[in-house]
Amino acid sequence: MTILYDEGQQAIATESRRVLEARVDKDALLPLLERVGEYHRPFWDTAKEQGWTGLALPEANGGLGLGLAELGLIAHQAGRSISGAPFLTSSFGAAKAIELFGSDAQKLRWLPGLASGEIIGAVAFAAGPDALPPCPDVTFTDDRLDGIARGVSAGLAANIAIVYANGPGMRVLALVELAGTQRSAVPSFDNSRLIADIGFSGASAETLAAGDAARDAALHILALQAVVTAHEQTGGAEVLMEIARDYALTRKAFGQPIGAFQSVKHRIAELYGLVELARANCIHAAAREGAADFVTAAAAARLSATEAYDTAARDCIQIHGGIGVTWEIGLHLHMRRARSLAIEQGSSLFWEDVLVDQLAGEAA
Amino acid sequence: MSDLESYRAKAAAWLQSMAPTFGRNARKGLSEADDLALGRRYQKAKFDAGFAGINWPTEYGGQGLSHLEKVTFDAEEMKHGFPSFYFGISLGMPVPVLMQFGSDKDFVKERVLKALQGEEIWCQLFSEPSGGSDLAGLRTKAEPDGNGWKINGQKVWTSWAHYSDYGVIVVRTDPNVPKHKGLTYFWVDMKAPGVTVRPIKLAGGESHVNEVFFDDVKISDDHRMSPVGGGFAVAIATLMIERYVATDSAGFGPHLDLFVELAKEIQLNGRPAIEDGRIRQQIARNYAMRSGLDSINVRARLMMQTGMMPGAEGSLNKLVAVRSRQKLSELAIDLQGSDGFLFDEHASQKEDWASSWINAPTGRIAGGSDETLLNTIAEKVLGLPQDHRPDKGIPFNQIPA
Ligand SMILES: Cc1cc2nc3c(=O)[nH]c(=O)nc-3n(C[C@H](O)[C@H](O)[C@H](O)COP(=O)(O)OP(=O)(O)OC[C@H]3O[C@@H](n4cnc5c(N)ncnc54)[C@H](O)[C@@H]3O)c2cc1C
Repeated sequence: MTILYDEGQQAIATESRRVLEARVDKDALLPLLERVGEYHRPFWDTAKEQGWTGLALPEANGGLGLGLAELGLIAHQAGRSISGAPFLTSSFGAAKAIELFGSDAQKLRWLPGLASGEIIGAVAFAAGPDALPPCPDVTFTDDRLDGIARGVSAGLAANIAIVYANGPGMRVLALVELAGTQRSAVPSFDNSRLIADIGFSGASAETLAAGDAARDAALHILALQAVVTAHEQTGGAEVLMEIARDYALTRKAFGQPIGAFQSVKHRIAELYGLVELARANCIHAAAREGAADFVTAAAAARLSATEAYDTAARDCIQIHGGIGVTWEIGLHLHMRRARSLAIEQGSSLFWEDVLVDQLAGEAA
Repeated sequence: MSDLESYRAKAAAWLQSMAPTFGRNARKGLSEADDLALGRRYQKAKFDAGFAGINWPTEYGGQGLSHLEKVTFDAEEMKHGFPSFYFGISLGMPVPVLMQFGSDKDFVKERVLKALQGEEIWCQLFSEPSGGSDLAGLRTKAEPDGNGWKINGQKVWTSWAHYSDYGVIVVRTDPNVPKHKGLTYFWVDMKAPGVTVRPIKLAGGESHVNEVFFDDVKISDDHRMSPVGGGFAVAIATLMIERYVATDSAGFGPHLDLFVELAKEIQLNGRPAIEDGRIRQQIARNYAMRSGLDSINVRARLMMQTGMMPGAEGSLNKLVAVRSRQKLSELAIDLQGSDGFLFDEHASQKEDWASSWINAPTGRIAGGSDETLLNTIAEKVLGLPQDHRPDKGIPFNQIPA
């Protein structure tokens, strides 16, 4: 696949940006931070109405049959406006797990709802520091799950979850309905992510993949989500760079715009570098879906996007001086989101390891 | 296979066939004089095979193809370690500028053909002790002298001046106007009376750059390549000419797979260094950065292929890649510990970590320092204010020294 966006793709970017700029603003997002368990419904309603939820799912399953590049463009815009709900990534990941590894019956049962956005999916692989633990905390025996999946993004609102579990003598990728499970909200610095600990006690679950295939499948799903997230991070970093630039042009000190001070202007120029490297890696990774080096490309995208967003959040606030740290101006929304996205799909430490394993030829 | 891919295949096959005679191994142990002689033969072979002046007009002996073929060829050529760097500046900037701005077409054609065949080399005499980043701050002057001009002053950092037959030069012709307005652009014969070239030894031990002194060097007015006082614009045009040159995300240092190999071989705390988190982190971060540049460059090429203008992100190449090379080279030496002292000043910067490291600083200065590149991005791409320039609008001879 080419890494040049065509007209249709550019239209997706422009239109989604227009819609999100009209419907999401920081004043709607700030209150969500102070409450646990709420998301920005207008964002998700928009996503459903615009068809973004099914964008990258097959037409046969109620989707639009587009790809990671298109979904990435939406995620990029969602990152610019700070999406008020975590489902774009997690529902996509859950749907892809079912599409790629599920039975016909499972696809029929879940994919149309995931595509329309009526059903919300979550992906629960991590156990604390391990994004893909060698020995998951949740156990899978006789088609039942036990244990606690910790820190699951979108976990509070999701209808189903894809769980990476410890089966008898092997790992299992399992599909579970969340109705009836014990869910407790995790108070977070980024509450609209709906992060939950999900407790399973004998919840009935279905196998999507088992053994070595389960780990490969889980890594693939994680890589898909990482690429979407990387786009979102790049969008966030990009808008912060623009905010910093605009502020540096208007705020004056010592008789000149602060953007005339090299320590400020070079800092913004460095952000430009980080944003463009991340963007280039994102476009490349989206184009590598299905190729042998997809995981490598996803890891590179993820690492550079995390660095770009965190750095942009730090530096943009710094460039604003005192006003940058106020609740009202809302730059902390980006700072929070930069960090929550940095750990959601496996931290930089995780992706560094994955990437080096690939480069050193030690991939599983 | 696309046209460009078949071109790449053709170029790769030809380069492969030349490697035994002119490549890395053939050059081992040669003196610089012998290496240059080999380089001239290689350049001639390139010309004969139709790979010289790839994107230059056919009327001057070029191939009349596009930047794309040029960049494609350069990327393949880079793999073999040919002795082509003696001609890099010459064919990169001065000679294309001569084609664009030279007035005597027959003279130009003769020069271009000789340069393309490696017979003649051109240098670029811009920088001076008082004008590097601040190019328009230069002081070498040309005064009217009969029908022509007389040049006095000093240039510095002139790459390959000691082998050059000709050079393009920017000089001050009027000190009474603001600095950018009093400059004029000429070509000079480097063998003319009054031109003295003195090599400068660089940190890495080699002497590619020179001081060049002009003492009453007389040139006729037909050497002039710009209007009198209009030299700055031609100088900027020179610097823009090869905007889309072949780039290298390794910063013209070793590729990352060499580092991965090193980290697999070397033991750290009784385990292969590749298992050490600090090493892994650097590999991963450098990979992410370099793969981003690669993707930017591939995208730029695709855009050119479809007739679009690539974005400004290409300006990141040197800035990002050379910094990454510098730090990674330091780490590679760290990794080798007491074995890291070993230094061979003739080793290739693309394959040897110590050589890459000691020469990396030049990469962060030559062709625009990191700081000026950041200024360019900030001002030209992001629209941030220009630096305060106290010398703006003031006649050159009234600027406090
Ligand atoms: C190996 C090599 C080959 C070269 N070949 C050639 C050649 O063939 N022909 C030629 O004409 N020149 C050549 N150069 C010269 C090169 O273009 C200059 O060295 C370069 O432009 C920097 O100028 P300078 O050395 O005078 O440093 P200065 O301009 O004196 O810079 C000193 C420091 O000040 C910083 N600085 C300067 N201005 C600013 C600013 N506005 N804002 C912030 N920081 C600033 C610089 O970044 C640098 O860190 C070569 C240089 C090298 C090292």
